[in-house]
Amino acid sequence: MAAYIARRLLFVVLVLVAVSMLVFGATALLPANVAYLILGQFASPEQVKALELKLGLTDPVYVQYWRWASGILRGDLGESTLMNRPIGPLLWDAISKSLILTLVSFVCIAVIGVGLGVVAALRHGRALDHGVSIATYLGIAIPEFFWAIVVILVFAAWLGWLPSAGYEPLSAGFATWAKHLVAPVMTLVFGHLAHVSRLTRSSMIEVMQSPYVTAARAKGLPERVIVLHHALRNALLPTITVLALDFGRLMGGIVVVETVFAYPGLGRLIVFSIQNRDLPTLQASILVVAAIYALANLIADLLYARLNPKIRFGRNVA
Amino acid sequence: MSLQLKAGLLITGTIVILGLLAPWIAPHPWDTISMRTRFLAPNATYWLGTDEFGRDVLSRLLMGTRLSLAMGVSATLVSLAIGVPIGLAAGYFRGRIDEILMRAADVLMAVPPIMLGLLVLAVTPPALWKTALAVGFVYVPPIARVARAVTLSLANEEFIQAAKARAESTPYILFREILPNAWPPLIVEASLRVTYAILLGSALSFLGLGAQPPSSDWGLMISEARSFIDRAPWIALAPGFAMCALVIGINLLGDGARERLDPRLKARIGKA
Amino acid sequence: MLKIEGLTVRYRTPGGVVEALTDISLEAPKGKTLAIVGESGSGKSTVALAAMGLLPAEAGRPEGRILFDGADVLAMDDAQKRALRGARIGLVFQDPFSVLNPSLRIGDQVGEGLVHHRGYTREKAFARAVELLDEVGILKPEAIARAYPHELSGGMRQRALIAGAIASEPDLLILDEPTTALDVTIEAQILDLLETIRARRGLTMVFISHNLGLVRRVADRVAVLYAGQVVEEGAAEAVLHRSMHPYAKGLLAAIPRLGRKQLRLAAIPGRLPDLRKPPAGCRFEPRCPFAGPESCAPQVLRTVGDRQVRCARAEIVKDMAWPATAIDPVAAENAAPRSDEPVVVAANLSKRFVLSQGLVFEGWRPRLRAVTTTAVDDISLDVAAGEVVGLVGESGSGKTTLGRTILRLAEPNAGEIRIAGEVITGKPQKALEGMRRTAQIVFQNPDSSLNPRKTIGELIARPIVRFGLAPKGEVAAKVRALLDLVRLPAHYADRYAHQMSGGEKQRVGIARALATEPRFIVCDEPVSALDVSVQAAIVNLLADLRDRLGVAYLFISHDISVVAHLADRIAVMNRGKIVEIGKAAEIMNNPQHPYTIRLLSAVPTVDGPRHPRAAEPQP
Repeated sequence: MAAYIARRLLFVVLVLVAVSMLVFGATALLPANVAYLILGQFASPEQVKALELKLGLTDPVYVQYWRWASGILRGDLGESTLMNRPIGPLLWDAISKSLILTLVSFVCIAVIGVGLGVVAALRHGRALDHGVSIATYLGIAIPEFFWAIVVILVFAAWLGWLPSAGYEPLSAGFATWAKHLVAPVMTLVFGHLAHVSRLTRSSMIEVMQSPYVTAARAKGLPERVIVLHHALRNALLPTITVLALDFGRLMGGIVVVETVFAYPGLGRLIVFSIQNRDLPTLQASILVVAAIYALANLIADLLYARLNPKIRFGRNVA
Repeated sequence: MSLQLKAGLLITGTIVILGLLAPWIAPHPWDTISMRTRFLAPNATYWLGTDEFGRDVLSRLLMGTRLSLAMGVSATLVSLAIGVPIGLAAGYFRGRIDEILMRAADVLMAVPPIMLGLLVLAVTPPALWKTALAVGFVYVPPIARVARAVTLSLANEEFIQAAKARAESTPYILFREILPNAWPPLIVEASLRVTYAILLGSALSFLGLGAQPPSSDWGLMISEARSFIDRAPWIALAPGFAMCALVIGINLLGDGARERLDPRLKARIGKA
Repeated sequence: MLKIEGLTVRYRTPGGVVEALTDISLEAPKGKTLAIVGESGSGKSTVALAAMGLLPAEAGRPEGRILFDGADVLAMDDAQKRALRGARIGLVFQDPFSVLNPSLRIGDQVGEGLVHHRGYTREKAFARAVELLDEVGILKPEAIARAYPHELSGGMRQRALIAGAIASEPDLLILDEPTTALDVTIEAQILDLLETIRARRGLTMVFISHNLGLVRRVADRVAVLYAGQVVEEGAAEAVLHRSMHPYAKGLLAAIPRLGRKQLRLAAIPGRLPDLRKPPAGCRFEPRCPFAGPESCAPQVLRTVGDRQVRCARAEIVKDMAWPATAIDPVAAENAAPRSDEPVVVAANLSKRFVLSQGLVFEGWRPRLRAVTTTAVDDISLDVAAGEVVGLVGESGSGKTTLGRTILRLAEPNAGEIRIAGEVITGKPQKALEGMRRTAQIVFQNPDSSLNPRKTIGELIARPIVRFGLAPKGEVAAKVRALLDLVRLPAHYADRYAHQMSGGEKQRVGIARALATEPRFIVCDEPVSALDVSVQAAIVNLLADLRDRLGVAYLFISHDISVVAHLADRIAVMNRGKIVEIGKAAEIMNNPQHPYTIRLLSAVPTVDGPRHPRAAEPQP
């Protein structure tokens, strides 16, 4: 197990190195003049030249990459070209706000999604199952930004229960803080629930039809024991992987949701940095997202290994 | 034909036909600004109302259908064209080639698709065709993975051994023996990707990195309508529901097609 | 103990309603073993599920009664059924690999019935599970009880399942093909175990199997199922040695017998009727050589002498033998001359596989270390022109790898191969064109060996086109000739693989191999996936083709009786080595190597004795 963890950790590090190259390479290699982008189309050639020198853009790409990457290793994420401030504190503030949003949403998705999936599978072919299936089709078809509009329309414009946008710190009172969180969380949950419940349902149905569940029935075990003891554990194994994947999708989802709800997190920072051609901030933000995602995958892998005896014990008794 | 397939064909077919005929059946010009007809609620003349520039929402919706369909199909073709050969090669040759290609896919999949798209689009001036290319590129890894998984299982089949036993060339085995059997799962996956591409493309347009005004791209329409959501919700709701219908239609089509396209699955159902 | 009366089960399927069982009546008397015999599609497994009340939802409510100790299982509610299952009726399934829950410990799975039926605590049930594992002959029962299923071999898993089935001390044990997934030597051990348990506990057993030899060994009474009906039922000895129903006769005639060499096996022509619309008359009539005018009426199960038979002509047919299959006259006349000149010579062949490769730390230094297995270990073998060499061995012995290595479908690590005089080792694959024409292969699994997206015509034409064996205009005629050679009608050329039965697909596989006019064919378990009656026809076809075309076979099989029937010489393989090779008759009658002796004595035969009865405990 220790060797397994070590291997997975090494893999995460390698992926992050590769992602950093990708992130840097995509912005460095695409046919665009960065200095020109920053200064706008009316910049004089001299101004462009000066900025290029200042940013080190005249150096070969690998030198630029090394300067950037070694800086990150030292904890220096560089400076925002727009705000002329170090990116580090800016990013940490955004991440903490985004993590609250994604973690709350993730817990809701995991609990409700798995629950719906299991219940639908146990009622396979009946009205409840069909209801969940139809809702799932809808859920997968509606993009987050449309969910956001619907949530605003219903809960802010019509019912007036929730603020339509913005963020209030916890110091403004728990109720105010939570109230501003509800709409974006709801949007993320609606947008991602279907995926989890759909896969949980199909995996649960498959397990309930497996020979070992039939064998458990042949032993005369009560249905409750069969579901809880025999089926659920095996059915949830693939769901763990799916949940990790969905955490990654959630990290993508915050881009749209934070933009719509003017929520000052990582997603809005990314859009903001793109709109303002702030490449260092963009690169650092996407690298951080990749790191969080890789971490989520790592946790899922370890959890999977913990629950799956085939990985937990590599030994052979017989 | 299953109910799923019928419903999928009906919905998708209707939307495709409406999109193709849009310039001829649109009741009003889609881009003519008229300040006198701003924010009209749906009525007999403007079935779905008008927007902040007084343009007919229905006409814009119909013209936008073409953009969404073009986005979905062209992006998916890009993913298929790059992803399928990669997947076939990785699954058939195994070993080092497989290792390198799949680790590269892992790296691309370590960044959420929308951010990968943002990254590609960040440094170039936005345009819809670039968005389509970026979306297609983003979905190469999942297509390659499916192609690889199918190839891996097919490569173990005895009919591949039989082909080797009569000294068939590698291209023959890949394209004449394996690929025809790999199509059904690939088509299902591709149909899923068409919907993902439509959703991702419109999200990028929504963020201002795709279609530019005055285009009638659905994502952009919703984005522009955001500011008037309490005054004129129909401007945002119409393209939203249209997109929803299109995606559901294609999903139904894909799920229905899977059962029909796989002769072995069919034989199994027939025998059971 | 168990009495089934007029049981009819129908499945709703997308293709229509299938009547899986029609009016089945059976009885398993207390303390005896009833065997239910049938081929695939006979409905024998449905009987087991129905008796346990475990039919899937598509089955709806069956008609008839299933009486266990006088109480009707079909009339019970769920709670009553649960109290019966596991507690008074135990069930052992066919495939020990998928029946154990992969994420629960063996001990918990063996003991859990006790928790629910006897109110044991988990700890007490686990302790009892260890005793039960000991009883079913598992060494180190404490360690195994704590192990997970994937850590156990197939035979061990089946023992564990039997331990779980007898945990709550049931009165009746239903065994659904309990040894089909296992090797013969393991099968023999499991049979011994079952007999011991039966005698010690005074169990009643229902034993479901397709293997008549196995049934001979364990059964007191035998019921033969065909197309969802009982066609013959009686004492085991009577049914298996003096069968009355034509189907039972055919089935018995189709088995290759050890030590009784026939030139051709008897075969049952045709295929199972479509159970969505079963024939009104006798269901076996279309395939029956004894059919008469009475056969068109529905047949009833009636008592004839010492047993029950579903055949109006039973008295007439009773003493008639199933007609023997004649040798194909064309083959007999045109028999190709045989010679002793070898067509295949393999010398000192070895093939290793890398099982896993991983980083290992030696001190602080990382090293790449590979775990390998030697599937073929320094084997020398030759096959003469027109000769059939049989290759027998159990799973994992390396016989399939040897066959593929000889054809260089797997690359040998050492050794030399000559085919038709040409050295084929040490050459790139591109230089093997000539060999690929001369040597072909027929595979085990008819579902996997034919590309499902191509018509049969395309499949058979491809080798002809590939090697340019006929001008374009004559390819179709050549395909027709090949179809005729394997006795398939010409219009099959337009069909796809999924539209044909297993036996027909295997014929296509043979036709495709013959299309290059090879002198040598590796037959890799060509009949293992087929039912006995179909297997006989394919074996006969292969024999005819050898006589007619003079083609040599390396015939690989785990079933030594099939090999003995067809082969001139037999090679016995164990753990990558050929332990014994010689003339077929010598190997069968006078085996020398201990492994061969063990293998031969493990094979259950119809002509052999019933299993020696273990001493019954005195009450």
